Amino acid sequence: MTTVHPLRPARERGPDDGGACDGAAVAGTDALLEALSRREPVPTADPAIALLAALVDDVDQRRSSVSITPST
Amino acid sequence: MVVRYCRARLGRVSGQYHIADDVAQEVCIAVLSALPRYRDMGRPFASFVFGIASHKVADALRSSVRSAVPTQDLPDGPDDGPGPEETVVRYIEAEHARRLLSRLPDNQRELLILRVVSGLSAEETGNVLGMSPGAVRVAQHRALARLRAMAELESTA
Repeated sequence: MTTVHPLRPARERGPDDGGACDGAAVAGTDALLEALSRREPVPTADPAIALLAALVDDVDQRRSSVSITPST
Repeated sequence: MVVRYCRARLGRVSGQYHIADDVAQEVCIAVLSALPRYRDMGRPFASFVFGIASHKVADALRSSVRSAVPTQDLPDGPDDGPGPEETVVRYIEAEHARRLLSRLPDNQRELLILRVVSGLSAEETGNVLGMSPGAVRVAQHRALARLRAMAELESTA
């Protein structure tokens, strides 16, 4: 039997620390990451997705070439 | 895929990916050298390749080689790539992503890099890491939640 102290509510466990995951949320995350892995456009309102998109964009670029500006 | 993996893990040195690209080349050479000893154990070949890549990246991180930065010859025509401002913004965002990823547990970081940056499917990622596709989907959801929490914490700090 589990007892919970009335003044100390049980700690909520989120999806990032081993708690239960909502199936729909897991599927949603998988769809987003699948789109990123296929280099398809993704909504970047989510800061984590925006970071991963930036990393993908940076990693995919070809070796940078030297920029030159014509003299005037 | 190997180049992307090495670039994501090692990042840029002096603004360039030359060390990561050199490590990717070493991985390819090591894979070719190891091919005669390769035995099909029922696992995808990618597991074999990324196992070697993981070790090569770890070796590079340990040695932290900082060699001379190669420069390219000046091109004859205009550069059609992104301009300096866009390049710097992209660089800063990518470094921010790398910094936060480095604070994730090793298994979560490896999973996100293989799944997103290297472009492996959930099944392929699971084969490399020895996980079922379902376990990969749950673990990537947790890893993304942790990454999101870290990003939000930084933005409010």
